Amino acid sequence: MLDVQALPLPYFLLRVRVAAMEPAEPGQFVMVAGANRPEPYLRRAFSVYDQEAAADGSLVISLLGKVIGRGTEALAACLPGERIPVLGPLGRGFHSVASRISGYDGSGSGRAALVAGGIGSAGLGLLAQALARAGRSFDFFYGGRSAEDLVEAETFRRLSERTGGRLVKTTEDGSAGERGLITVPLKAGLRAGAGYTTVCTCGPHGLMAAVAGIAAASGVVGEAATETPMGCGYGACLGCAVTLKNGGYALCCRQGPVFRLDEVAW
Amino acid sequence: MSGDAARRSSPDLSTRVGPLRLQNPILTASGTFGYGLEFADRADLHRLGGLVTKGLSLEPLAGNPPVRIAETRGGMLNSIGLQNIGVDRFLSDVLPGLKDLPPKVIVNLFGYAQDEYVRLAERVDPYEGVAAVELNVSCPNVSKGGIEFGHDPEILAGLVRRVRSATGKPIVVKLSPNVTSPQDLGRAAKDGGADILSAVNTFVGMAIDTATMRPVLSTVRGGLSGPAIKPLALRIVFDVAREVDLPVIGIGGIETVDDVLEFLLAGASAVQVGTALFRDPRTAERLVDGLRERLRTGGIPSVDSLIGAAARPE
Repeated sequence: MLDVQALPLPYFLLRVRVAAMEPAEPGQFVMVAGANRPEPYLRRAFSVYDQEAAADGSLVISLLGKVIGRGTEALAACLPGERIPVLGPLGRGFHSVASRISGYDGSGSGRAALVAGGIGSAGLGLLAQALARAGRSFDFFYGGRSAEDLVEAETFRRLSERTGGRLVKTTEDGSAGERGLITVPLKAGLRAGAGYTTVCTCGPHGLMAAVAGIAAASGVVGEAATETPMGCGYGACLGCAVTLKNGGYALCCRQGPVFRLDEVAW
Repeated sequence: MSGDAARRSSPDLSTRVGPLRLQNPILTASGTFGYGLEFADRADLHRLGGLVTKGLSLEPLAGNPPVRIAETRGGMLNSIGLQNIGVDRFLSDVLPGLKDLPPKVIVNLFGYAQDEYVRLAERVDPYEGVAAVELNVSCPNVSKGGIEFGHDPEILAGLVRRVRSATGKPIVVKLSPNVTSPQDLGRAAKDGGADILSAVNTFVGMAIDTATMRPVLSTVRGGLSGPAIKPLALRIVFDVAREVDLPVIGIGGIETVDDVLEFLLAGASAVQVGTALFRDPRTAERLVDGLRERLRTGGIPSVDSLIGAAARPE
């Protein structure tokens, strides 16, 4: 643990040095827990929000979190210098749609809409960076209840503007951006021909379900970084089932957490 | 042998569990480590004493709808619903990769009817790589079958007898803790011809989401596992080991070397590690190292000398 940055409550940013970990792909996650704490019992899944290779060959990952329960409380209470367990990188990230159509690998064409709800922005951090690096233009739609929920707005403004895109904010109380839900400007953007060929989203279930509907109605493909209660994060407990449209189940931790918008039974 | 290698192999942890000879008494429990092979990059499979597969049925099963798990104090509830790839795919795709590894492969079998257990046992019987079968007669997460076989001594004895006639493999019967007297079921399993008992499966429990005011799990009830159940499981292992003349494999919230020792002292000949693997996939191998270290520093010559020591008169 390098440092814990207390962001406006209840948000926090952990920077952790991991000795032996492959860099994460956009959308991948790690399982982490507080230092030497027997409780809560299970580790917690965190998207890798940011990462950088250190000079000594180790990797420093950043985890953007929100205190919502015992697990996140324990993590937010970590102290610099403490050793915490980290397992990862895990799961399958944004790849199918993102790389084929609006590829962060530079192979595709077209623009992307990234849609985050609150702390869901953590799941889009590496994707936004990758798109910016590849010179793929994207707009970042960032919705929250209130201004303090748009915790990394400036980062996403910078990244999107670098690609010729923009940051669009909404809050339910009108304290930042337009008052209302983020799906409203997303719909408007699609209607106005903003040139999106893909939509990638991470946030509350209701938001992702709405984005899937909007994307389908506009004939745009996309992906969502989903979240379910997770036991192990590496495919052993089979606890993190996501119901698919074909009636089957997929494991969020192994086949996901990123799924095509049109394959999940929202 | 280098100093390190010597330390890694001494004292000898090998142990006998009925007809099974294990390189050490640490196994992974059914449903907590898949089929083993898929985690070869996350754990050193070579160092396990044994590996019990996810419960296998005749046909693949998709499992229960979400929500399937709920964290609790000191553990978790699960209602996975026996999601598995089916016995045939296990035998053709997975077993070949496991059969030459040092850990003994115990195949956990589950059926909705007695006939299905018999057919499953017949199916795995010809495979040399299968060291034993473990009968899941106590899964709390399926609406029919399974659990009823594990709750009635007469039915259980009859089921084990039929499986006995279908296979020459050692038969492990996994006992349910959700009965008044698990030792009665253990005795029935022995009467039917079981070679080994494993104890215990998960305890039936539930959790309620106070925000939605609804049960957390889609199936309402689930199986409780983790450190929370250790004292309960230990008591059952103690009673079963004393009262039934069969070797016992202890299961229930095992996470530390002391947990392993407690189960051995209570009368278990080996243990299965389960939910702790969800926290750390290397738990089992860590326990192998820790147990060896403890035996060495304690001047304890073998695992055998510990088994049941707590039940002997002073």
